[in-house]
Formats: sequence, C-alpha cells, structure tokens
Amino acid sequence: MQWKSSLVAVAFAGLGFAATAATASAAGPTCKDGTIKVGAVSTITGPADFSEVPKATQAAFDAVNAAGGINGCKIDYTIADDKADPAVAAQAARDLIDNKEAVALVGSGSLLDCAVNSATYSRKKILSVQGLGVDAACFSSPNVAPVNVGPYTLSTAMAYYATNQLKSEKLCAFFIIIGGTQEAYKKAIENWEKISGKTIHLIDLTLPFQGDLTPYVIKARDAGCDAVLTNQVEPQVVQLIKTVDAQKITGINWLFLAPGYTEQVASALADTKQPIYVGTEWEPFTEKSSPANAQWAADMQKAGRPLTAFSQGGYLAAQMFVKVVSSIDGEVTRESVTKALHEMQPITNPLSGSPYVFGTAKVHSPMQATKVMKLEKGAWTVETPDWVVLPQAK
Amino acid sequence: MNALLTSAVAGLTAGGTYALLGVCAVFTYRLVAVVNFTGAAIGTAGTFVLIALYEAGFPLWPSVLAGIAAGTVVGVAIGFIMTRWFGEASASTKAAVTVALLVGIIAIGLRLTGGQHPHNMPELFPGSAFRMAGVEVTIASVLTIGLAALFTILADLFLNNTKVGLNLRALADRPMAAELLGIRVQMLSLLVWGMTGAFTTFALMIIAPQRSPNFMTLSLLVVPALAAALVGLFRSFWRTLAGGIGLGLVEGMASSVDSVSQYRSAIPFLVVLAVLLWSQREARWDEAR
Repeated sequence: MQWKSSLVAVAFAGLGFAATAATASAAGPTCKDGTIKVGAVSTITGPADFSEVPKATQAAFDAVNAAGGINGCKIDYTIADDKADPAVAAQAARDLIDNKEAVALVGSGSLLDCAVNSATYSRKKILSVQGLGVDAACFSSPNVAPVNVGPYTLSTAMAYYATNQLKSEKLCAFFIIIGGTQEAYKKAIENWEKISGKTIHLIDLTLPFQGDLTPYVIKARDAGCDAVLTNQVEPQVVQLIKTVDAQKITGINWLFLAPGYTEQVASALADTKQPIYVGTEWEPFTEKSSPANAQWAADMQKAGRPLTAFSQGGYLAAQMFVKVVSSIDGEVTRESVTKALHEMQPITNPLSGSPYVFGTAKVHSPMQATKVMKLEKGAWTVETPDWVVLPQAK
Repeated sequence: MNALLTSAVAGLTAGGTYALLGVCAVFTYRLVAVVNFTGAAIGTAGTFVLIALYEAGFPLWPSVLAGIAAGTVVGVAIGFIMTRWFGEASASTKAAVTVALLVGIIAIGLRLTGGQHPHNMPELFPGSAFRMAGVEVTIASVLTIGLAALFTILADLFLNNTKVGLNLRALADRPMAAELLGIRVQMLSLLVWGMTGAFTTFALMIIAPQRSPNFMTLSLLVVPALAAALVGLFRSFWRTLAGGIGLGLVEGMASSVDSVSQYRSAIPFLVVLAVLLWSQREARWDEAR
C-alpha cells in the first residue's frame, strides 16, 4: 500500500513541477498597484488562540516579499480576529472581501470561520486556503479547502492505523460532540468500516467536555476494547490517561488526534506506562531536525516565530497560495485566483503526506495522510517514519 | 444490574467532589449570606499556585501550604469586596456579583495559566483505597467523601454549639443588628471567607488530578456543587452531603445507559429544577391565600 501511494505522490510532484515549469516561460502574474491583497479570519482572542496559524502565513509572505514578491507583486496580508464570535467573524469576512478587496483567504485558523462564512465566500466567489480547518464546515464547503487533515479524516486514519498496524480487533471510539460535528464523526467511522471491512466494537458519542471520566474508562474496559480512539483535546487527554491509571487498566491502546500532540501533554503524562498514540496533521513538529521540516523551521526562525504545529499549517497555506498565484498569467484578481485554484494541479510539500489541491469539488479534504507519534517517557517519538496514507474507501 | 452498580460506584469520585464543594457553599451561605459562585474558583487559584511552585521545582508539601495560603488570600479578597461594598445588598444582588467575579477570575486565570494547556498536577494522595464492583476507588475519592462528612459534622457542631457560631448566624441573618450588638461583623466575615478559601483550596488540590487540569473546568465545578447545596436548601449540611453524593451516583449510572447518557451533563440542572419546584410547592398556595 505504502509504495503505491508514494508512487502516486511522486507522479503528482512531477505534475506540479511541470505546471510551474510551464508557466515560467509565460508572462506570469501582474498586479495593478504592486500588491496582492490577501486576508485571514482567525480566532485570536476568546476561548482559543489560533493566532500562530496566520502569523506563520504572515512570516512566509514576508519572506516572499523580501525576496522581491511574486513577479514583483508584494503580498499585502491582513489578519482579522473573529474573537470566536459569529457576528464578529461575519463582519471580519465582509470587511476583508468588500473593503480590503482581498483576492483570497489564506492561513485562517478559527473555531467558526467556515461555519459562519462559507456561504458568504460562495456568494462572493472567493476561496479560502484554510491554514487550520477546525469546524466541520471547513471540510464540507465548496469554497474552503484546508491544508490540514482535520479531526474527521484523522479519526478515520487513526482507526485505520489501529487495525492495520496495531492489529486491533475490538476498536472502540469515544467522541466529544460539540455543535454539529456528530454526523461528521459518525461518517469518519463509517469510512473506516468501509476501508477496513471491520465494524466498530463500541461507539460512544456522549463523552463529556468536562466531568469525571471514570464511568467511561470502566465502560471501555468492560466492553473489552483493545484500542480506544477519542477526539479529546489537551487537558482531557491528560485527565483520561490519569483516570485510566487510577483504575489500573492495562492492555488498551489509546489513540488521540492532533490536539493531543503537544509538549505539555507529553510532560504531564511523563509517568504513565499506557501505550499512547497521536496522529499529526503534518510532519511531526517536534522532529526539529527532520529534512521535511528544514525549510519551514529555517523560515520561522528567521521570522522569530515559535516552531509549533499551528505554524506549520499557516506556513503550508502560504506556500500553496504563492505557487498557485505564480502560475497565473495576467492580472491577479479574485476571479483569476479563484480560477487558478479551481484548475490547479496537485502540489506536494514535504510538510504533508498528501499533495494539496483545491479543485471544483463540492467538498474538500485533500489531506489524507498522517504520521503517528507514540509517547515514550514524557517525549513524543515517531512511530511511523513513513506517512500513513488513507486508502480510498472501497 | 451489575453494570449499573459498577457505573454507580464509578460515579462516586464525582459525587464526593460535589458533596465537598456543596457543603462549603452551604457553610458560606449560612455564615455570610452569600450564594458564592466563586467557591471553586478560589480553590482553583490556590491549586494553581501549588502547580506553579511544583513545576518550578519546589518541594511538594511547602508548595501545598503556599497554595492554601494563596487560596486563603483570594478568599479574603473576595470576602472584602462582598462585605465592604455589598454587605447590605440583597441575596440575589450578592449572587450576581459573585457570578461576575467568577467570570473575571476565570478570564484572568486562563490567561495566567496558559489557557487550555494541561499542567503537571502533583497527586497528593496517589493510589487506590479498595476495589468495589470492579472499580478502583481511589484514596483521593475516599478522602473527598470523608472530608465532606467531617466538614458536615464540624460545621453542624460549630454553628449550633459555639458562641462564635451563634454570632456568625446572627451576622448572616441581620448584619446591622449584629453590628449594633457589638459583634465585629467585618472581622468575622473575613474570617469565614478565609477559612472556606483555605478549605476549598485543599479540597481542589485533592480533586484536581482526577479532573481536566485547566482553570476553567475546575472553577465550573461550582455548578454541580451548588445543585447539591440546593438539595439541602442551603440550610442542611447533611442533605447537601447526600445530595452531592447522589448527584455523582446518578451521573455515573446515566453514563451506562446510552439513551440517557448524552443528557448527562444536564442532570445537575434537572436536580435544581426538581428541588425548586418541590420546595416552592407550598409558597404558591400561601400566596393564593
């Protein structure tokens, strides 16, 4: 399976290369007043802080501008804070589109941008290369294509990893359902069932966001689960494993999604002996010396930005956008950028396991690969040096 | 049946927490006449002082003492605001003020403690006490229930059998009259706030390792705790104790029944509603007469 997908990746890479090579000889992109205006709607203040995502996009654009811009056009980037408030998010998007005259949205990372604004984006015929797709709408809208795998595809991928490589026979899934994510998670498990030909042993969609987890870990143990997949975020990951340890449960593999992959989780769980796995959105950011991270790490360090997973997303979105805009022959407008994204060939980047493509599909989730990390004595270690690429459902 | 018993025992940990914090809430209400929404937040602030010191490499028990001292200071500070500016206000005004304070404390606390990032919470009493119905009952849960019971007994004795207790009850019911009788109102109130601050801090230090270790979720433990206090109608310590433990057991059992499980977090509200309806059933008649 692995070699097949890497062949595909190589083929895609060739295509991407050919595409850029072809445009190099053409006139290239032009711009009216010397700038290309780009925006992002991100949650910066409020219950969560995703500012690392657009700030990394900013750093990547700054580097491009410092090197002379795209064919002489400087990128003028505006980050709008949606404060996790739907009214503010809607206002921010309108301001970027109507007043700032943005040609595209790049590097947004928000709790609700997609849910609130995807209809606006469709109406205004503007596309968003989302740096970090969080809510379900980011993966179910024609005008948004995130550069991250996202919690739903990642759930499928981790379940696939559990059965394929951990040889799990009784996989159980416990999900926290916030807002309208229930269908998306159910679908993620259904996809896994189609791919693996197995059925889920137990699925529980009632995991509480706060509250004692003892009844749930007992439920998993008594059901005989040999692997448990959950979509919990940082503090709950720690709480769950502490509860598991308090109950002296052994013999279950614990699988988490990308929000569990932080250095704080690793150090808070330094003492546990439980087998803990997380799926990453991109090349593991803790592998500072990996060749795939080299360019990103160098650019971030030059800009004085921290090396976090979020910053990989923002950086990747910027790379994709710059490549696509470079291929435009003529003036860079909202129409020409939209057209270029719709017609683009897949582009590879070492930060991600799948090539990125926008295209004209009704829904987008181009990223279908993860790397799995395992927690060993308070540090994350790479469990799968090769990408775990999700096969297409049969 | 067996599964139900198992999940009920699994809910015991949560029940002990609710009972302990609920009893503290009743204590505050009976002595200084405030429905205190900041109770758990005060304890959380002290607990995070412990975490900060522990993560900075200080030894455990001195850090615990420093954390309790910090919780006491926060308690006294909130008590100062409440007695200084809202001493004569109505009960509902005071409750609203504590809600506002809670929101403020959570905002500041999340900012200072790094938001949702988890922390390395030291376990003061690690390990398991015994095994029951297939569930490890941890020393920490036994301790929370034990402390709740102990506090219930002590509070009952203190309020009903000591001079200071009597003074405090006078203070809660008629602060002005108490002052005229020569009771040092401000002093005594601050003492109560400080004591409950210290006690809830210690309670939260025991509870925190079993919970999601971030500022907001710990502070919001006050909701089920107040539901437990309401079972005791903010008067009876014993009923509050029973209410808290009962709430935990029901929550635990609910998680094993799939159809009910997704409404599990609404249980405290249902309990509040039921208690209010029951306790007000005669008031309606009184008014009509």
